Amino acid sequence: MITFDHVTKRYAGGTLAVDSLDLEVPAGKTVVLVGPSGCGKTTSLRMINRLIEPTEGRIFLDGKDIHQGNPSTLRRGIGYVIQQTGLFPHRTIEDNIATVPLLNGWSRAKARARSRELMQLVGLEATMARRYPHQLSGGQQQRVGVARALAADPPVLLMDEPFSAVDPIVRASLQDELIRLQGELHKTVVLVTHDVEEAIKVGDLVAVFRPGGLLAQLDTPERLLGKPADDYVEGFVGFDRGIRRLSFFDAASLDLQFDAVLPEDTSAAEAVQVAKQAGEPWVLVIDAERKPKGWASTANLESVPGSARLASVPLVSYGHTFRPDSHSLRAALDATVLSPTGRAVGVDEAGQVVGVTSYDRLRAGIQTAQEAADQARGSAHDRAAS
Amino acid sequence: MIWSWIPDHLGLIWQLTVENAYLGLVPPLVGLIISVPLGIVCVRWGWLYPPVLSGTSIVYAIPSLALFVALIPYTGLSDTTVIIPLTLFSLCVLVPAVVDGLRSVPEPVRQAATAMGFGTLRRLVQVELPIAAPIVIAGMRVAVVSSISLASVGQLIGISSLGYLFIDGLQRDFPTEIVVGMACVIILALAADLLLQGVRALLTRWQRGDADVATRRVLTRLTPGGAR
Repeated sequence: MITFDHVTKRYAGGTLAVDSLDLEVPAGKTVVLVGPSGCGKTTSLRMINRLIEPTEGRIFLDGKDIHQGNPSTLRRGIGYVIQQTGLFPHRTIEDNIATVPLLNGWSRAKARARSRELMQLVGLEATMARRYPHQLSGGQQQRVGVARALAADPPVLLMDEPFSAVDPIVRASLQDELIRLQGELHKTVVLVTHDVEEAIKVGDLVAVFRPGGLLAQLDTPERLLGKPADDYVEGFVGFDRGIRRLSFFDAASLDLQFDAVLPEDTSAAEAVQVAKQAGEPWVLVIDAERKPKGWASTANLESVPGSARLASVPLVSYGHTFRPDSHSLRAALDATVLSPTGRAVGVDEAGQVVGVTSYDRLRAGIQTAQEAADQARGSAHDRAAS
Repeated sequence: MIWSWIPDHLGLIWQLTVENAYLGLVPPLVGLIISVPLGIVCVRWGWLYPPVLSGTSIVYAIPSLALFVALIPYTGLSDTTVIIPLTLFSLCVLVPAVVDGLRSVPEPVRQAATAMGFGTLRRLVQVELPIAAPIVIAGMRVAVVSSISLASVGQLIGISSLGYLFIDGLQRDFPTEIVVGMACVIILALAADLLLQGVRALLTRWQRGDADVATRRVLTRLTPGGAR
């Protein structure tokens, strides 16, 4: 756990970079510091490994004041990843990754073995071990940077705009990789970014800074989107936060409907009857393996002979499906919006239909999920207050 | 030209070449030993660099013969009398080369090294100097070649080198000797340069083709004021 206790950084000339910051980074969590340039987020990060010393206040790492003791010793227990990678151009990839183990006095053989292990962990081919940094792409270099930071297995990882210099596709994959790695390693990660999307994607907690080095809000991404503390945070979080917040609610809570889902060998007459009973203008037709085939409208079904099988009736495409067991409400909403019938098909891992949802049912689901989240926050606040 | 003079005097030519090589190589090496700490200090305390640079340039502007003569009362007619001035001259190239080399270390690299727990000295030895090496070696190439050529001037105060062939050839009106002396100086300089290029290739396997950029940088910064 990292604790900032009334930490202030004032530069010569009086510029206030960080203003009396109180912040707690729980062990094993990813906390993202986000804000516009000049808000003190990078300064705050660099105070953790003492690249910058605070003017006032103290920082504790697992209860110990980091300002006591040798900075080099402190730094070897803290991984550091920066935007420009800072890889050593004169050392091979494996030796770059082995830097801290070698500083800690490991044998060269052991350190290199560890390098190979880490290259695999971050998804680098073993053939790159003997190459030099300039021979790698930007994304690969950044992976080396992450591997190098993890080499001595430090409990804390500091990342300063780690993915800002790569193109959006590589950035997204590096973010996914970080989330995957963090799921395995459970490091205490502090990541600085100016990209609020990145913060919401990778952070367990997000700290929004305002210009002048003040902390505006520290919250989970869902709460940041749901209840921004003030206009500044709301403006910073940005457009369509309501929709984006739905990413944090599971689609499993949706009340799916199975009334108007019929096998393809059903007759048109029977289908019309079922649809009318269910009050549905559309029937979802499924094949023998219970996979979706398409939508049939009751109007269309009434115009064909009653004995015709659904397999022979022209169908409307079912569009995108969603997975209630693993997707969010945002994915369900997206599938519904994109469907020509205003109804989205939920499927399981095997692609078999588990139910359908409509705008009406989605609205109810979203409302329930939001109320539950708000209630949870309310009771958390009550607990904090008592 | 009387070419038969050459085979008859191979022993003399070889001896003079070795003496010239010694006088040409020792000053840049001593100069390097002085320039590295001096350059480090100039990078660390930037305000020191302009006066140091002026100092080395002023020394470089003194004619070599004048310095030799000025030193005779202290060091006599020994090799030292030639080595000291040539060492001082080499600083004019080597100090800027060390400073430029150290300044070529990218800031993120320096920062990452610090953040990983390198102390100042270890960072200097393991990170900054290796990255500075191509530019420093480019400076060494210039210093060595100029020093080999300047060493022959020492002959004027009687310090043996290939300069003997110029003076003897002139006095006896014997051009062959002068031509041989020039050829030997050039071959010696080329050989030393080749050796340094080999050293650079060995130390900078990590580089692309930009080692030559470093050389050009040092060469363009230096427009030596002609022969001395």
